[in-house]
Amino acid sequence: MTRLHPFTLLTIAGALPALAWVLPAPAGAAATAAVALVLTLTPGASPGLTGIGSSPGWRPGLVVLRAALLTAAPFWVFLLLLHDVPTTIAIGLRITTMVASFVWLVAALEPARLVEAMVAAGWSASVAYLFAATLTAVPMLKARAQRIAEAQRCRGLSPRGGIASRLRALRALALPLVLSALHEVDERALALETRGLRPGIRRTTLAPPHDPVVERAARWVLLLACPAALVWRLL
Amino acid sequence: MSIRLLALIPVAAAISLALSAAVDAVALPLFLDTTGTILATALAGPAVGIATGVVTSAVNTLRNPTFWPFVVVQVIVALYAWGAARAGLFRSFRTAVPVGLALGVIAAVTSTPISYLVFGCTTTGGIALTTALGKALGLPPLGACFFGSFVSDFGDKAVTFALVTSVLHALPRRTAARFPWALRAIGVA
Repeated sequence: MTRLHPFTLLTIAGALPALAWVLPAPAGAAATAAVALVLTLTPGASPGLTGIGSSPGWRPGLVVLRAALLTAAPFWVFLLLLHDVPTTIAIGLRITTMVASFVWLVAALEPARLVEAMVAAGWSASVAYLFAATLTAVPMLKARAQRIAEAQRCRGLSPRGGIASRLRALRALALPLVLSALHEVDERALALETRGLRPGIRRTTLAPPHDPVVERAARWVLLLACPAALVWRLL
Repeated sequence: MSIRLLALIPVAAAISLALSAAVDAVALPLFLDTTGTILATALAGPAVGIATGVVTSAVNTLRNPTFWPFVVVQVIVALYAWGAARAGLFRSFRTAVPVGLALGVIAAVTSTPISYLVFGCTTTGGIALTTALGKALGLPPLGACFFGSFVSDFGDKAVTFALVTSVLHALPRRTAARFPWALRAIGVA
């Protein structure tokens, strides 16, 4: 599954939740949820960038399924709190489809392959950069936020007390983080200019992912199945 | 779009996501997930703000898939922040906080139908619990859902606007002048 073209992975992860909402509940949503949960068991899927579900007590093949189930479980609890049982089952199966599809997508899709596929398909390198740069910047800024929090605690910052003192603590954490991140913008811009990233320039990919005709056809079938199912429901 | 503004988008999106995680350190019931969108808009205008909001939602979706349908809220936040920046409402807390409170109402009105129709009002634990409280108070389902969204968004957007105001004023003038809207947003140009 991880060797599928990135666009195919995205299409599957997008079509399953769409079909879950369009097809009649609970049978339609149960079918899509079952497919999505089976996908989480496919070989090659790893916990992904977020690291969700990576705990030593679980067999590697079940890690992604566990992450999907743990993410979906709170929704079922809250649905039961707010709705009757038939509504809980209908919405719960749809949310489970959505959660399992995206957890599987994160596990199966390498961001670098997606960027290569986007550039090979003629997308602007700038668009590909936006997603790849954000994915790499988030863990970096989170780690920096952690360091700033520790440094501020050493200086006597206390995250306890009333709302006013907590807001002051938040300001002391957030300001250095945001200002340091903004100061990096110039460095990043310089690096991009040095690498020749300018609007309108087509780039050549080193190893574009293989995109067989069968996969392209399957993508179209899945994409057309969603509006077709909607028309069938409305008629 | 200039290279500098292109470089700003992933940084602003990452700021939103990192702050959402950092806010746990002070145990406040806030999301701050629109900080980057508002900041990018105040610095560089609506196109950069909308792009930041879409990228933030897309990347957040990889962590929690229920975020994606709320991308509409990010776009509305960017457009609203642009109006605030044009009017120079980031000039002080006294002007920014009321504007943030009003955005809280708009965000709640926008997110309620999405939350109600798509997720049955169960997007996050906090919203689900306040929705349950609204239901217990005798509100109809859609009213309870709005109550849940309103309680979470009202304070969150005010704090976010105050935070962005702090950042814009703390930014050295030389740095601020490199972004097209920064000085106008704080009312000095």
